[in-house]
Amino acid sequence: MSAVELRGLNFRYAAALTDALAGVTFSVDAGEICWLYGAPGAGASTLLLAAAGLAPRFTGGTIEGDVRVLGDDPRTAEGRHRLRGQIAHLGAVPDLQLSGVAENVFEEIAFGPANLRWPLDRIDAAVREAAGRLEITHLLTRSPLHLSGGEKQRVVFASLLALGPPVWLLDEADSALDAEGRGIVAELMLAERNRGAAILVAAEDADAMLGVADRVVLLDRGVIAFEGNPRELLSHDLAWERGPGGTSIAGLGRAAHARSNAARFAPPYPLGVSEAAARWR
Amino acid sequence: MRLHPYTPFVLVLATALLAFLLPAPAGPMALYAAVIGAALLSGMTKTVAGGALVTLPLWAFLVLLHVVLPGGDGLAAALAQGARLGAVATASLMLLRSFNPSRFLDAASARGSSLSAAFLVVSTLEAAPRLRRRAAMILEAQRARGLRVGGSPAARLRALVPLTLPLVLGTLSDVDDRAMALEIRGFGGGNARTPLDPPATTRRDHLYRWGAVAAVVAAAAWRIA
Amino acid sequence: MPPRLLVLIPSAVAINLAMGFLTNQLGLPLYLDTIGTVLTAALAGPVVGVMTGIVSQLVRSLYEGFIWLPFGLVQVVIALLAALVARRGGFRSTGASLAWGALVGLVAGAVSALISYLVFRGVTATGVTAITTLLSGAGLTRAQAVTVASIGTDLADKMIVLALAGAALRGLPVRVAARYPWALRAVGR
Repeated sequence: MSAVELRGLNFRYAAALTDALAGVTFSVDAGEICWLYGAPGAGASTLLLAAAGLAPRFTGGTIEGDVRVLGDDPRTAEGRHRLRGQIAHLGAVPDLQLSGVAENVFEEIAFGPANLRWPLDRIDAAVREAAGRLEITHLLTRSPLHLSGGEKQRVVFASLLALGPPVWLLDEADSALDAEGRGIVAELMLAERNRGAAILVAAEDADAMLGVADRVVLLDRGVIAFEGNPRELLSHDLAWERGPGGTSIAGLGRAAHARSNAARFAPPYPLGVSEAAARWR
Repeated sequence: MRLHPYTPFVLVLATALLAFLLPAPAGPMALYAAVIGAALLSGMTKTVAGGALVTLPLWAFLVLLHVVLPGGDGLAAALAQGARLGAVATASLMLLRSFNPSRFLDAASARGSSLSAAFLVVSTLEAAPRLRRRAAMILEAQRARGLRVGGSPAARLRALVPLTLPLVLGTLSDVDDRAMALEIRGFGGGNARTPLDPPATTRRDHLYRWGAVAAVVAAAAWRIA
Repeated sequence: MPPRLLVLIPSAVAINLAMGFLTNQLGLPLYLDTIGTVLTAALAGPVVGVMTGIVSQLVRSLYEGFIWLPFGLVQVVIALLAALVARRGGFRSTGASLAWGALVGLVAGAVSALISYLVFRGVTATGVTAITTLLSGAGLTRAQAVTVASIGTDLADKMIVLALAGAALRGLPVRVAARYPWALRAVGR
């Protein structure tokens, strides 16, 4: 049994003319980072919301098909109850994810665990560990409202990390972060994966995801266009034909191929600088 | 020793009741003085100024209505009404200064009171300044696009539209994202939660609360008699 | 209470409180501090509207003194009326909103005047007090002055509130409006 299972998922927003998702079927296993790749509007955000059980509950619309997280359906009341604190869904805008009732960052991070009625000592340990891993221990006494965007997003990450969730659903969640923050989060995700978490990430940055993703799912207008090895996708034309494209270097390779018939410029395109240097010499 | 989060509410409510029960004009004025005294003792000097500032415009009209124009109730009435408003306003500001949202939620949770109701109030207190800043930003943005803030009454009314609509629509579109984030973090509204800093009801709390109740009862009894 | 309402109500109350800033900046002698209440009533029905009105008055009392608490009744009345207007699709056009706004203004003004006189003997909100003072000076009895001042300001205020609320409701993307049970009916769809 996979950690996240989607089968025949169809989703349409209210008063929409087309499906946002059609026939989506794939799974994410424990101990895996699955990269959800697609152009804006392809349906990645919707997919993550459906997997979290948040769509259609909060978004309106109609859904068909199967959604299973850790064996439960997050759309039912019973499933929601069992999955409380197990799913970490993160969006791109930190301000919208803060609780609004915390006096300081410690309380903000403790919000989730406190809602789950953990004993105080367990909460304390979890908060401090999470803050340490996000390198925001120095912010614990500050008000969450007066932080920079990047700091706020780290607080949001820490707030979910403190719950120790086995399933992560990230929706462009690092766009508010600075380069250092993104590095910390990438390390964190790898660490969580190694601990057995199932991680589904929607991200635009192919260069960054190449080094992190175990698998890629290409979404094009609500339909899965490719599922498999990221290197395989990014080095072929499919990435551009049905998606936002490959890595920057692969993009160069594709441009070169368009201008020349030379064999060394043909796909599969090189994905990184050293590869390119080796191929094009 | 910190007060239990509910105690300031009891005190403010008592102040409001006393403001109307105590015989004018000496009663309300003494009350106002007492509130100012309490504020200064707690080190909240700016709050005193704030309370006075909020009621200042009212004082002017009170004097006008009761003293200058015919048919008014005289200076005593004006002083009494002003003192009432001043006392209550200052007490409220003191409450706001000492308010800690998390402890308030914990207190509600510990009592088995509705966490939802407590959350609504706390969340509003956090949202209010935030939306005001948003309104200010929208104003600046629209001004930069050429919106004129002055002009004829009709023009100013029309200016309301490009200011209000973005505020309302933007806020409404955020509602679901915020609600989803709360849900993900296990907040269902109804369930109690682990108190992070359990508020205890100390002897001082009991003293203040019962003292306030006694004062109100005494004033009411005096009034009736 | 579902999380959406736990976010909607505070947001609506915060809108109520922020309108004072805008009217101040524009130099308009209005409050427009019931627009959030009207919106929630039109989006989610009378109960939610009433809750918004009560929380609104409670929080306002915290900021400005509990003097204003009795006027919570006015917010409640407005919430109920707004739900009624929504039910009849009264927000479908600016004209309809203004007309309904006039009605709401008359009722709200009357209730306001009543509370104003009974509880405060006529001295309350600065704007109303100012007009009351003027009218008293012109020879009206206090009761008459308070009533006229109250209803007059409320009429204009509520007409504008409903007109703005209607515009906002009509401006909501359908995808968002569809999440609220009353919203589509309120704009006549």
